[in-house]
Amino acid sequence: MAIAVSSMDDRTLEETLRSMGITLTLHEARRVAELLGRDPTETELTLFDTMWSEHCSYKSSRPALKRHLPTEASNVVLGPSEDAGVIHFTEVDGVRWALAIAHESHNHPSQVMPLEGAATGIGGVVRDVYCMGADVIATLDPLRFGDPHGENGERSREIAREVVEGIAVYGNALGVPNLGGDVVFDGCYDDNCLVNVVAIGLVREDRITRSRVPEAARTEPYDFLLVGKPTDWSGMGGAAFASADLDAEALKENLGSVQVPDPFLKRMLVLANQAMLEVAWREKAAIGFKDLGAGGIACVSSELADAGGFGIELDLDEASLAEGDLPAPVAACSETQERFGIACPARLTPQILRIYNEVYELGSMYEGAGARKVGRVVPPKEDEEPRYLLRRGAQVLVDAPISTITEGISYEREARPAVVHFSERALPAQGRDFAADLLDLLASEHLCSRRPLFQHYDSEVKADTVLRPGEADAGVVTPVEGSWAGMAATVDGNHRLCRIDPYLGAAHAVVEAARNVACVGASPAAITDCLNYGNPEVPEVFHAFVEGVRGIGDACRGLGRIEAPDEALPVVSGNVSFYNQNARGKAIAPSPIICCLGVTPDASTCRSLSLKEEGNLLYRLGAFHGELGGSLWAEWVDPQWVGPLPPLDYAAIRRELALVVALVRERKVQAVHDVSEGGNLVALAEMALGRESRGRWGLRVDFSPLWKEDADAPSAAGATDGGTGGGKRALSPEAVAWGEDGGFWLEVRPTDAAELERRAEEAGVWCARLGEVSSGRKMVVEGLPTPVEIDLDGLAARRERGIFELLRRDVS
Amino acid sequence: MSRARIAVLQFPGLNCERETLRELQRSGVDASIVRWNEGPSRIRDFAGFVIPGGFSYQDRVRAGAIAAKSSVLDTVVREVEGGKPILGICNGAQILVEAGLVPGEEPGRVDVCLARNRIEGWSGYHSRWVFVKAHGDGNFFTGDLTEPLPLVVAHAEGRFVSRDREAWERLRRKGRFVLRYCDSEGRDPRGFPDNPNGSPDDVAGMSGLDGQVLAFMPHPERAAHLWQVPEDLPGVWGERRRRAAGDRSALMGDGPGRVLLRAFARLNRGGST
Repeated sequence: MAIAVSSMDDRTLEETLRSMGITLTLHEARRVAELLGRDPTETELTLFDTMWSEHCSYKSSRPALKRHLPTEASNVVLGPSEDAGVIHFTEVDGVRWALAIAHESHNHPSQVMPLEGAATGIGGVVRDVYCMGADVIATLDPLRFGDPHGENGERSREIAREVVEGIAVYGNALGVPNLGGDVVFDGCYDDNCLVNVVAIGLVREDRITRSRVPEAARTEPYDFLLVGKPTDWSGMGGAAFASADLDAEALKENLGSVQVPDPFLKRMLVLANQAMLEVAWREKAAIGFKDLGAGGIACVSSELADAGGFGIELDLDEASLAEGDLPAPVAACSETQERFGIACPARLTPQILRIYNEVYELGSMYEGAGARKVGRVVPPKEDEEPRYLLRRGAQVLVDAPISTITEGISYEREARPAVVHFSERALPAQGRDFAADLLDLLASEHLCSRRPLFQHYDSEVKADTVLRPGEADAGVVTPVEGSWAGMAATVDGNHRLCRIDPYLGAAHAVVEAARNVACVGASPAAITDCLNYGNPEVPEVFHAFVEGVRGIGDACRGLGRIEAPDEALPVVSGNVSFYNQNARGKAIAPSPIICCLGVTPDASTCRSLSLKEEGNLLYRLGAFHGELGGSLWAEWVDPQWVGPLPPLDYAAIRRELALVVALVRERKVQAVHDVSEGGNLVALAEMALGRESRGRWGLRVDFSPLWKEDADAPSAAGATDGGTGGGKRALSPEAVAWGEDGGFWLEVRPTDAAELERRAEEAGVWCARLGEVSSGRKMVVEGLPTPVEIDLDGLAARRERGIFELLRRDVS
Repeated sequence: MSRARIAVLQFPGLNCERETLRELQRSGVDASIVRWNEGPSRIRDFAGFVIPGGFSYQDRVRAGAIAAKSSVLDTVVREVEGGKPILGICNGAQILVEAGLVPGEEPGRVDVCLARNRIEGWSGYHSRWVFVKAHGDGNFFTGDLTEPLPLVVAHAEGRFVSRDREAWERLRRKGRFVLRYCDSEGRDPRGFPDNPNGSPDDVAGMSGLDGQVLAFMPHPERAAHLWQVPEDLPGVWGERRRRAAGDRSALMGDGPGRVLLRAFARLNRGGST
């Protein structure tokens, strides 16, 4: 039945739309009628509501993304056009292997129902990778929670606990190793947590499946199959929900928008999918394969067909519905989990149905689950636009030129910079005790051990894991049987930097992610970005978003690729999440999160970040400038103080990355750790403590060469104006201890020291020998105004206790 | 003499079958994956069985409970009672105790179950590298073991418990506790974390029937090569791992879990050792 949007007055239309749960603006609803040339059906309005949501259409973000992000490089197999980006990985015995990667957010669902929200976050992102024909080999989860000690502390801790549980429940059962992630606590996330998820898959380059009906469908009949869970109410309106403000009223109303996770069924579905892909490959049949996300059946079928230039006809009576009387818009558009759509040659349909229904007996795992043929592909006719026809028996639910549905919508948003004033006063640093601050920071929620979290996840299923979360700056797996090629992955994003400078802060996230994979000897190969911001209709928020995208793009071009210095580090996939704000409408700090994929030809050379042997030497590598703006320590000392961020000298960072990667691969270093949150002191403490805070060795270093004017700065190479080594300005001891300019600490055998120094000099990388690994569990740092002599066992106990106290899960 | 064939049983929800197969094959064992619904005659073809880890039937009722009641397992039980060896890893171990094969004092009687981990301040799934040591002899799988082995546990229900104290004592006297958690030097644990789940008597693996059955919580397939061992582990294996960094052939060498998988390689086609 048509809804008379073209003849209704504003008020009636507004009421009609809202009563149907549709979030389209009045203008948008009328535009639908215009495009169709008639009033839309309820199902059509629901479909457009999803397709034109921010989540699906990128209607505010697309121009900025297109303008600033480099997406091409010689290692890119498939850029950001489908559910996952694909890059070349390695070649073994003539077979080329690729990595597929997707990066999603599940913020609003996780705020409302943290366990289910986080679990379906993983469930959704892995489908994006599976539908490329890949096997998912790793997930990572960057998480942002509210202040655990603040006004909403209890709720924030509860959300954190539940999100962690959701990730474990889904990922562990699915059998995909968790390879990393990070956790940040800040008051700006009190009412709006961020749950981002990354999935990475392995696929033979000649077996990548595409999310489109293949060309072959022009010459032979193709069917459209729906596989997985029966369609139900769950996840109805999810995309619109993700694209709306999250106020208390919305929370109540949207409980039904959260999808229901089923990792058990998914595991079986994945096995059946693999058998299906094997059959298609054996029969040399091209297929189209796409996961069902927002917009459900209507969205997946229209996009599959349109991407190939085809029309499609479906009958919902043929689909498996959990309840027979499911209203048409729900049956067509709900985001029921654990489903895929397949376009396959009709001759293979019986064989494929058998795989799902008999070999893997999906129907016995979950009532109504399995595979069904629900439609057929319609080849384009010469003088007619391909059509999309969705029926339920005799009733026509959607009938439109297919391009109308998929074409999308876009908005020009206004951007206006927010003014940030640097503090005129200096940081109140006088009289602080360096050792006490180090102890406090490592015990705080910001830097305490994440061990209880990553030990709640399975990091070793598949038995390919070389470096687990927390063991080094990036996780590493060797997923190709018989090959040492290693895939390294890390996630990074620093809201403190972005709050002061959304451009430079976003660029820092890219650089930090690249540094992390370099630490394990992997060269940065590609990034993905998940861009978490507030309401794009607010000009200051939109400006921060555009600046973030520009910063990411500039950093990618600035860093380039080690193997192809003229190419930018490509952005191959990503996601935009708007409308992240607190109950009073204040946006979260700009929170772009970067995942960097790295590749090493020889994962046997990867090392953990912990100290290995007494008597080895400790080197500080990479120039730094000593700005404390946006640093964790500055916020710790004075949350109101605002200062400039460390600048980024891409040419110098490129040289550092290339040198570190080469040294690791040549086995010249015993341990590497990059300098990030908490600066040099924290980096060293982390090396002494190791993953489980039970390192065997202590260390003794002298910081005075880094900042004392009369000291002999070891080298001028690599430092720009004002940086250490430049010899023009003395840095403060605070900046030396706590600054977050990056760089690395290296543990080197005495026999490799001369080689390291020569290589650094040749490469033009600033490098200084500042101490050594010592026996005994003591961390001694000389050359600071107050003595730092820390008992590592005591430090370990405090670091390990921190998150337990926050998130303890006592047996009930 | 041709090699014996070993079936890696794949129940719905298990998720470690491929790496278990891979490492059995690399241990010189002729193994294949067999689906739960392939029928009893296919099962009888094999000379021994492995049930790998995962979440069979979504841990509905209790971990392992549904698979233990399945008809395919009835066939497996009869074959094992006839003398064929079976190794249950993690969820596989849970299935074996739920099926009564461990300890197997009386056919079909469930004497032991794997209860929820008991860890101070934390409940549910917990993954960590621990050490285990073999005790007693006469067991098909652990005969060769002397040194403490670092292995990874990854489970939410790994605490062996029995119905009553007396039954537990009987099992102890009979030498059923063939693998027990220890510290890196092989000494008895002082509670968590050396014992990662609160299992009484630090039991990590329990044998059944005439010693041809082993229910084992750690994952040997995740420690079959030296490279799979974390560098930061205390003890000799950690030392070996660090020394081997960058040396591919040393890293491909045996890890601490290999010996358990290799036991099957001693079988000949008839099923005896």
